[in-house]
Amino acid sequence: MNLVPRAPIAPRAWLVWSLAAVTVGLSTDNPVYRGLVALVALNVLLTWLRPGRRLRPLALMLLVAAGTAALVNVFASHTGADLLARLPGDWPLVGGPLTLESVAFGGTVGLGLVAALLAVAPLSLVLEPYDVVDAMPRPLERTGIAVATSLNLVSGFGRTFTAVRDAQRMRGWRPRGLRSWNEVLVPVLLTAIEDSVVLAEAMEARGFGAGRRTSYASRRWSRWDLVVVASAVTAAASFIALRLAGVPVDWYPYPTLFLPPINPVLVLACLALSLPGLARPARGG
Amino acid sequence: MIGRLIRGVPGRAAALGVALVVAALASLAPASPLAQSCAAAGSNRAALVVEHGDGSTVTRCVSFDAGTVTGEWLLDSSGVAWSGQSYGGFGQAVCAVDAEPAHFSTCPGKDSYWAAFVSRGGGAWQFASVGISSLTLADGDALGFRYVPTVGSPAPPPPAAGVCAVAATAAPAPATVGGAGATPPAQATPPATVGASPATTDAVADAAASAGVAVAATAGVAVAAATAGAPSSAASPPPGARGPSPTGGIDQGLLLAAVAGGGLAGLALLRVVAARRRRA
Repeated sequence: MNLVPRAPIAPRAWLVWSLAAVTVGLSTDNPVYRGLVALVALNVLLTWLRPGRRLRPLALMLLVAAGTAALVNVFASHTGADLLARLPGDWPLVGGPLTLESVAFGGTVGLGLVAALLAVAPLSLVLEPYDVVDAMPRPLERTGIAVATSLNLVSGFGRTFTAVRDAQRMRGWRPRGLRSWNEVLVPVLLTAIEDSVVLAEAMEARGFGAGRRTSYASRRWSRWDLVVVASAVTAAASFIALRLAGVPVDWYPYPTLFLPPINPVLVLACLALSLPGLARPARGG
Repeated sequence: MIGRLIRGVPGRAAALGVALVVAALASLAPASPLAQSCAAAGSNRAALVVEHGDGSTVTRCVSFDAGTVTGEWLLDSSGVAWSGQSYGGFGQAVCAVDAEPAHFSTCPGKDSYWAAFVSRGGGAWQFASVGISSLTLADGDALGFRYVPTVGSPAPPPPAAGVCAVAATAAPAPATVGGAGATPPAQATPPATVGASPATTDAVADAAASAGVAVAATAGVAVAAATAGAPSSAASPPPGARGPSPTGGIDQGLLLAAVAGGGLAGLALLRVVAARRRRA
């Protein structure tokens, strides 16, 4: 089989791939598997990123989410053999020893968030919103619209923020403390509300809720789509099956740090998810 | 058009909800240890060594017919009172053994905890990197616990060598092993209410506390030695505690993961550089 697909991957195949990758990324506490899923998803994103879409807002969001999750664990968990620092015990919640183990576990939690968000990112950064709607099974069509809407909200919010900030700068605005950001955030919020009202009116005008959306042609699945779906489902099923069989798939660094146990089969399962990242068609997609 | 139109609708919760539900369903899969059948009389033996914080030790030799048993099964079958807490796929973490600590509110404890070790075929103790429900033990293996401070590398308990040999001499006919099908205790003082699987941590901790140090020695569990005040003879850090593999040597999984991770990271870097060049 030719490794270079002739056509873009079908939206429903993307949906299955994303669900499988999220399943793998969140069904284990092992940072190695989570890291592999994150790297695989990043490569897939870089391969299929739609023109005009940028990864920087997503990277910023990942950094904030993962950093917050890791820090919360470091300051809230005071267990572990390797002491890094000690905060005064009378400080509420954060007081007590800060340990290397809590840093490691916090990092794992953050890595899980990164892996999960990167796994669903193609639904926003690769597919068009109507593709996501089409990808949903008929009973979940409404859910698909909600998903597409909310995924589009993130990047749309980022674009609005950038536009408003640039416009304010042209008017001489400069960030001076938290209060000065009101001049950017208020217009961004108003724009978001206005967009929502416009959207609701447009959807009603187009008969939203009146019946299933028609389409000109239903797309047939290619062999490449089937391979992508089969490999993704196999990867997720491997994790679930081995876990049920008693194979350790998690890692818990408390009370003392040690290297995570790694099963080669599960590493290969993670790599099976990378199939869509191998290549994309020269035209289209 | 639709993409532009639907921008701005506050529906992030719906998207997150779908992703979380899927992830939750996936993670609901229970961490079930390998199913073990309860052997009536076993041809295989595994030792249990427990060292308390004061240096006193309790040892047991448990026989079984199955090829392998889990650490949890061994501990249950030994008659030594214990309680644990499940940590998902990690398995059962041991919170209290043989009435130490008598009560606990956090597991592992803030000051001390039960470090678990495993010895394969009479070898040195290796720090257990998984919970005891995920540990598998075969004939000649040993499971060890030592109550150690949370700060510092945990030292292993005394060697398990001779535990089962002494047991064979002391109790030449080790009959049934504990568990659901255990025969009534021959010398159980107090009766074996403490060897069963713990339902709740507090309840079993209380049971362990009421049982005291003299744990039930159910029939079939050969009591090898229970020496009070015996100091640990092996105080060096566990060789495998921070090693790449519990069994030592090069871990193939780790190697494969390192190669795969390095390759994927390199590929991503190349793609980012190529994209920037295209834009420039």
